[in-house]
Amino acid sequence: MDVSVPEVDYTEYTNRELVAVPLTLLGVALAILVVATVISGTPVALGIEFTGGTEMQVVTDESQAEIESTFDGEVSSITPIAGQSNAYQLTFQADDADPILQQAEGAGYEVESIGERSASFAADSQRQALFALLIAFGGMAALVALMFRTFVPSIAVIASAFSDLVIPLALMRLFGIELTLGTVAALLMLIGYSVDSDLLLNNHVLRRRGDFYTSTFRAMQTGVTMTVTSIAAMIVMTVVASLLGIPLLPDVGLILVFGLLTDLMNTYLLNVSLLRYYKYEGVAK
Amino acid sequence: MKLHFKKHWRIWLLVVFVLVSTVAVFAPLGGDGGITGPAEDETNTAGSQYTNLQFGLELSGGTQVRAPFVGMSVSDLEFGPDAESEIEGTLQSELGLGAGDVRADAEAGTVEVFDDSVAGNTTRAEFADALSAAGYEVEESDVRMGVTADTREGVEDVLNDRLRERGLGGGTASQVTAPGQRYMVVEVPGANRSEVIDLIGDRGQVEILALYPGDGGYETQSLLSQSDLAEIGGAQQEQGETFVPIRLNEQAGQRFGDAMRENGFDQQGGTRCSYELERSLEENMDDDPGRCLLTVLDGEVVFAAGVAPNLASSFESGAFDEDPSYRTTTTSFEDARELEINMRTGALRTTLDIDERGTTFFLLPSLAERFKPLSIVTGAAAVLAVSFMVFLRYRRPEIAAPMILTAAAEVYILLGFAAAVNLALDLSHIAGFIAVIGTGVDDLVIIADEIMQQGDVSTSRVFESRFRKAFWVIGAAAATTIIAMSPLAVLSLGELQGFAIITIVGVLIGVLITRPAYGDILRILVLRNE
Repeated sequence: MDVSVPEVDYTEYTNRELVAVPLTLLGVALAILVVATVISGTPVALGIEFTGGTEMQVVTDESQAEIESTFDGEVSSITPIAGQSNAYQLTFQADDADPILQQAEGAGYEVESIGERSASFAADSQRQALFALLIAFGGMAALVALMFRTFVPSIAVIASAFSDLVIPLALMRLFGIELTLGTVAALLMLIGYSVDSDLLLNNHVLRRRGDFYTSTFRAMQTGVTMTVTSIAAMIVMTVVASLLGIPLLPDVGLILVFGLLTDLMNTYLLNVSLLRYYKYEGVAK
Repeated sequence: MKLHFKKHWRIWLLVVFVLVSTVAVFAPLGGDGGITGPAEDETNTAGSQYTNLQFGLELSGGTQVRAPFVGMSVSDLEFGPDAESEIEGTLQSELGLGAGDVRADAEAGTVEVFDDSVAGNTTRAEFADALSAAGYEVEESDVRMGVTADTREGVEDVLNDRLRERGLGGGTASQVTAPGQRYMVVEVPGANRSEVIDLIGDRGQVEILALYPGDGGYETQSLLSQSDLAEIGGAQQEQGETFVPIRLNEQAGQRFGDAMRENGFDQQGGTRCSYELERSLEENMDDDPGRCLLTVLDGEVVFAAGVAPNLASSFESGAFDEDPSYRTTTTSFEDARELEINMRTGALRTTLDIDERGTTFFLLPSLAERFKPLSIVTGAAAVLAVSFMVFLRYRRPEIAAPMILTAAAEVYILLGFAAAVNLALDLSHIAGFIAVIGTGVDDLVIIADEIMQQGDVSTSRVFESRFRKAFWVIGAAAATTIIAMSPLAVLSLGELQGFAIITIVGVLIGVLITRPAYGDILRILVLRNE
């Protein structure tokens, strides 16, 4: 098995051709998010941490339909829990856990966990999470601009990072992954991971003597190894954690896998072509 | 191969940190274990029996409640201590609130009401108007949602006292600040939801009232409240009667005795009382209940009884005034215990709004316990995956093996940090650990590639220059990660805070300790023939 990073012959493609793929995907992702916002009000589905409501994990022999009829209020969702038989995750719109808890205990269910979040607290969390994402992204952008002090290379990094966030968000919508505190953490982590390989590429191309294509290839060898290693770690974490029925970790892992795959594409198509444009045309002008 | 102390100080630094972490994680807590609190609490904390690591609710089970304080406040007012009661009186009548619901503090220049439009029905505008009526011109915009720092601290202390009194020593109440709002977070490992909410949800204001026939019908008089108690005994059960023995302080004893004598409680043979707890105080008053002593908890009469003959005669003789001991009787031992805790810890000045603006979370301890080994398995699997990839890529054990060992050392030092600062580990931290392994290996790959890529390294100087180049990328990437995570470390988004702290500290440990050490290890390996 040969695992050395393949050398891509970038000279065969024009900048326009290279940029087309990532930009099209970014466009599609943005379109998905816009359509989703129009239809359901939010770009991605929000978990109870951001909408308010009650979430309960119960163990019972009853069927899903029987569980549903146990509760007076509407049950928003019933999901069997992986790795644990007869265990279900239930969510409710109502943010008062007391009656729900009573009904569950009355029906003889074993309540493994119950969490409630009031709507106003959830709205607060939503605002803060959005704020955190904006600050994190803005801080990253400012730092990158400060490090390169030139327009095109900075924009290349920032645009890749932006796309690395937007495409996983669209994938979350398509796969029905809810935005929870855990997935917000994954998105923030993605900002850090995404910038890694872009910085490496920019550093090799801009700060080293030598041919553009050689520098790019060297950066790629290192960068692809890094990203693929991280992807492997995250795939394993996702698979193992979901088999073992550990909450939170599968969602975090899956989003990082989405983001890192996107990052591979963005770094070596979008960022490379922007840098080539800068190196051969932007500087000359 | 020799490890020179001076030349390879980076490796020695790593070794020192690994040793320190071992001490932090495994050494039994000795004399300086004071951070974990009094000895009797230790059995209740959610620690592990083999290590000093603390686990949060997600990995140990229990209940967490987060809720803001009920109330509004106005600060920067100027008034003297004499004006306090006048302001309080005006606010009470203007807003229709009880005595315990308003508080003016001359020293701090603050006025607060423990009611608001969400949990009660006083709006900010009404508060501003009432304060204006009391002679202090304030606008609605001067009224801040939330209570004063003094009140918040008081509530925190009382809640912690209650948790201790209840034997829930592992539980903690602490304040959390979010922009524009402050929350109280109460975490109790091993306790279920209703147990915790019952304990922290009520103000716990205990009052003893006398109920007696006056000139124009029945009257009540407040005899004593928490501050009048000199001594509180443990709840007891004796001959089918449950009670809390209390002893009043001197002034209160005198006042109590006087009130008893004035209103006929000192009659021979004691007093008769037919108060019915199911009915309201007003309904009882219409029904000629006789002379009663009422125990009132948060405005609700929880027990009513007449005066026993021997107590009545001690009122009459004045013996009570000399030795003001008294039994507050209750209907059950449970009630007696609750009454005792409330009398001991005192009342909360304001309550937490759990229903409208709070969150609660409960996780079954047995389920949480299972997550502990399982998340270690997950982490180990991730490490194995990383190792496998690294071996595939380099095919040279002398490069790959130190890489994996260094990344593992990073996580180990991070665990040491968590144990040293008593950080309670949760699932989000585990995710953070795995993220740290990811970035750690990334950076080691950068170092290894930079040094090996451009042909053989012949001299120390070439090595240094390449290492420095690699470090520029690593430093820049670390700075971005820290910037991206820092808002989370400050905001109060619950579990995300822990994740952000672990990631930031992990990145710092990596950049400052483990990655330079890996550079030195590589130097030894590639310059072996020098």
